[in-house]
Amino acid sequence: MAADADDGEWPMAPKNHASTRFSALTQIDRSNVANLRLAFTFDTGLRRGQEAAPIVAEGTMFIASPFPNTLFALDLTRPGAPLKWKFEPNPKLAAQGVACCDVVTRGAAYSQGRVFINTLGGQTVAVDAKTGTELWRQQLGDSSKGETITMAPLVVKDKVLVGNAGSELGVRGWLTALDTASGRVIWRAHSTGPDAEVLIGPNFKPFYQQDVGKDLGVTTWPPEAWKIGGGTAWGWISYDPALDLIYYGTANPAPWNAEQRQGDNKWTAGIFARNPDSGEARWFYQYAPNDRHDYNGTNENVLLDLQIEGRQRSVIVHPDRNGYVYVLDRATGEVVSADPFVKVTTTLGIDRLTGRPRMNPQVDPRNGEVVREVCPASPGGKDWQPSAWSPRTQLLYMPHQNLCQDMTAYTASYISGTPFLGSEVRMYAGPGGHRGVFGAWDPVKRRMAWAIPERFPVWSGALATAGDVVFYGTMEGWFKAVDARSGQLLWQFKTSSGIVGQPISYRGPDGKQYVAVLSGVGGWAGAVVSKDLDVRDRTAAKGFASAMADLPQYTGKGGSLYVFALP
Amino acid sequence: MSSRCLRLWPAFAAAALLCLPACEREKRQFDSPSPPPTPASAPMMRATPLQPGNAQLGASSVPTAHMPSTDYRYENNAFAVSQGKRLYRWYNCSSCHAPGGGGDWGPALSDDQWVYGSSPANIFASIAEGRPAGMPSFAAHISEDQTWQLVAYVRSLSGQLPKDVAPGRSDTMSGREPEAGRDRERPKPMEKSDGNKR
Amino acid sequence: MATSASTLRWLAACGSVVLAAAVRAEPLQSVLAPAGPQAAHLKDLWDVMLLVCTGVFVAVLVAVGIALWRAPRADSSQRASLPQELGPQRGARRSVLSAVVASTLLLLFLIVASVFTDRALARLSLHDALHIEVTANQWWWEARYDDAQASRMFNTANELHIPTGRPVVLTLRSNDVIHSFWVPALHGKKDLIPGRTSTLRLQADQAGTYRGQCAEFCGYQHTTMALLVMAEPPAQYEAWADHQRATAALSQEPQAARGRHIFMTTTCVMCHSIQGTDASARRGPDLTHVAQRQTLAAGALPNTPENLERWIRNPQHIKPGANMPPSDLPTDDLKALVAYLGSLQ
Repeated sequence: MAADADDGEWPMAPKNHASTRFSALTQIDRSNVANLRLAFTFDTGLRRGQEAAPIVAEGTMFIASPFPNTLFALDLTRPGAPLKWKFEPNPKLAAQGVACCDVVTRGAAYSQGRVFINTLGGQTVAVDAKTGTELWRQQLGDSSKGETITMAPLVVKDKVLVGNAGSELGVRGWLTALDTASGRVIWRAHSTGPDAEVLIGPNFKPFYQQDVGKDLGVTTWPPEAWKIGGGTAWGWISYDPALDLIYYGTANPAPWNAEQRQGDNKWTAGIFARNPDSGEARWFYQYAPNDRHDYNGTNENVLLDLQIEGRQRSVIVHPDRNGYVYVLDRATGEVVSADPFVKVTTTLGIDRLTGRPRMNPQVDPRNGEVVREVCPASPGGKDWQPSAWSPRTQLLYMPHQNLCQDMTAYTASYISGTPFLGSEVRMYAGPGGHRGVFGAWDPVKRRMAWAIPERFPVWSGALATAGDVVFYGTMEGWFKAVDARSGQLLWQFKTSSGIVGQPISYRGPDGKQYVAVLSGVGGWAGAVVSKDLDVRDRTAAKGFASAMADLPQYTGKGGSLYVFALP
Repeated sequence: MSSRCLRLWPAFAAAALLCLPACEREKRQFDSPSPPPTPASAPMMRATPLQPGNAQLGASSVPTAHMPSTDYRYENNAFAVSQGKRLYRWYNCSSCHAPGGGGDWGPALSDDQWVYGSSPANIFASIAEGRPAGMPSFAAHISEDQTWQLVAYVRSLSGQLPKDVAPGRSDTMSGREPEAGRDRERPKPMEKSDGNKR
Repeated sequence: MATSASTLRWLAACGSVVLAAAVRAEPLQSVLAPAGPQAAHLKDLWDVMLLVCTGVFVAVLVAVGIALWRAPRADSSQRASLPQELGPQRGARRSVLSAVVASTLLLLFLIVASVFTDRALARLSLHDALHIEVTANQWWWEARYDDAQASRMFNTANELHIPTGRPVVLTLRSNDVIHSFWVPALHGKKDLIPGRTSTLRLQADQAGTYRGQCAEFCGYQHTTMALLVMAEPPAQYEAWADHQRATAALSQEPQAARGRHIFMTTTCVMCHSIQGTDASARRGPDLTHVAQRQTLAAGALPNTPENLERWIRNPQHIKPGANMPPSDLPTDDLKALVAYLGSLQ
């Protein structure tokens, strides 16, 4: 797939439809990045997790912020990038109570003079990019049953794609396409239930036999359980214009306690390929049938053309929660390779013939028992934090974590509007004692080229540039630039709070290359700080308090944008 | 021999007197003392539209809730506190506020920060009326008596209850020492904790 | 002889129990009336032990009697003195030795009988077995009928239906404390221990209703934790199972509809589930087909609308300590709720 011509903008959180997060700008490179300095900052005034990617288009930077989801527009044409306008969508206050992993949003999206944001209260809003006036608003989610929207929307052709969140509360997952001009709902594909609602029709051709059958979204669940079955689409979406297919993952099934939902629980914890105009499914692959450890399938799908075993293949490279980097055939959904990138005890490998993981029953949680050394922990080998690809080095730069956990299960009651879990967790560092890693994975050689251990999970996104410099942030607040080929640290800057956002690079109206990132700790990993949790309770934050008990000593709350450039 | 008995008499009497407190046994109140609400019972204002369990039915069909007609009396009743601990898990409180009270969706209950107050009446109102920033309103979904039991248990999470009343062990995987082993937190005055709207 | 008379009386009593149970329609709860092969093996062992122990008991009584009758008696004028011979009597030594040998042989015989019974219990063929997972709670029984296809599973409580002539494998678990599953007409006791899984395999050969109860002290209402096992011909069982798989009846009758609204908006929805509605909590029995059950509250009350109303109004008056709270619903609302639950066939 030819790389997009880099116009110096960043119109969507993944940069482009292939989700490479690669900037072709070369002004900043390995020789001069050490001179990088702060160009300007902007304080959002909000102190919760800043997971968003700043969006740059039309000489303006658009920042989507955590609840109350204010959208800021900064005028990049003026010195200091002053505030041009701000839009306040006024989401429901009560939505804050049903957001599992801090009240975050992962970014806005720009297309043809419109900026699209999602709110925690379950709305998608289109705003005029120049003036900040509301163009249309669509209520998609019902927060009274625990539904929120935290993902960054994606514009594909004339549609904006939005997925819901809330598998932890038994919310039934869906992906919805809205018309960009009017906000009208064009189609909605559910992640569970009868074929008609999952938009599975005669063109559905999954690669593996276990995904063939009628109404598997019903028959692979106990009766009615699919209605509260999770599988939300809160993660990343990619689009291949040649095949005209969108790719996105579905989240974990509900509840976490697998003993309450026998069966494969289709179509959760997997990846769908769909036609973007009608939404109908083309193929599906399930990473975690009857998932037992909260291994969502929602991580990024990087669309690449790689030379594998002597031939050119159009593939998806997907680092999954279950600790494997998958290479899937984009057209068929076949698993080309699957290799662990962290310590894995929950599975004993992926069967090449059926594509199914071989489960390790010793670390399956059971009612009333505690199982230990569950690796990777529930946030996975890698969670939502997106990787970046460099076509120059042919490496995938993966920010991720090194965590294991103890876990127990109990029968969960579904009470709509409250969590539907049935699980208690305590996480801790995996082998080596470091809880985070920033690594460069070679998907053809199927191994890590180099890896940088970090004290805390690397919960920020990654940015790769054509200057062979890769950027990421740590939860202590360091924003780092490393050599894309060797991993050597070239530059770092201590921001005011831990970084869990996605760094971007753009060309300013003055022609200079800028690198921008939001600083403000939070998200699931940073909730112990952003929500003032009591870390003495090791099971707080679904077990993250146990692994992050020392985070408050390293960072406080924050909510500022940092933009860097060469002098 | 009889003179020896006579000499030991005071010792026996003292021992018997010391045993007398054991006659006092904590009452287990199975039957709820709260009478059904009369038309005169003051209706309770819910502080949030979020209610458990009735997502399909919409706000127009919200059942009327009433102000509590009984007082809090479970501060020293170990049975009530243990029932509160059971309900804390049964009603998914432990999922939102973490099994040990450390917080998750909802704020921590085991520390000294009380956004809406730490008194039993404040906690009752938080549970029954709900709070604007995401705490659902449980009035009419949890009976008044059970709500008081939950209030007592929530107070034990930060060590407010006497050591012989708070639960001494957990039946599940532990996150920290049981409630009876926690030091008593001194609740801070109510104030906004951060810049975000509430 | 006195021995045979007492044995005959005993056997007659057993027989009359069996006969009476067969004639009456009430649930049978008796180890002496086995309705399946497992209970039959246990009953056989019990009979053997009874016979042997009765025989030994009678023999010992007889020996004591003989000893008393043949003991040398002294005149009241004679002074008490030790017998002349202090050594063991030859006759006594022979009796004691033979009694010890006989006891040992009889005990060995009982051990062998027990081993044979265990083997017989284990030999129950599990071909085409029905799998039910039974989870004990304080103080009611939860049952999930398993199936190879997940969507054919269903939940019920306190009343199990099983087909006759087909083996049933019960997987036993507990959510809180140790309970024990005991349906005497079908098998012996098996503990349900929290954090562990145990298995019980049984089969009912005769159709009928068998009563069981918790056999391990589990708290305040241990005595009111009964369950009913209905053994039915396979076709009748399949019809029942298909009906259990169906979602709850949706009555359009106004009072029942109002009752459904009350169920979903008050305390009920926090603990109970009704398939096909938004209620999916797991702290109390599944109520999807509650109107079909014979009893309420694990055998505490017959299932009638009056009893249901009494139960919901204040369970503590009927089963003090049960985890269901009293209700403060106005009477009209309570009657509507009872009407709704009565419609859940």
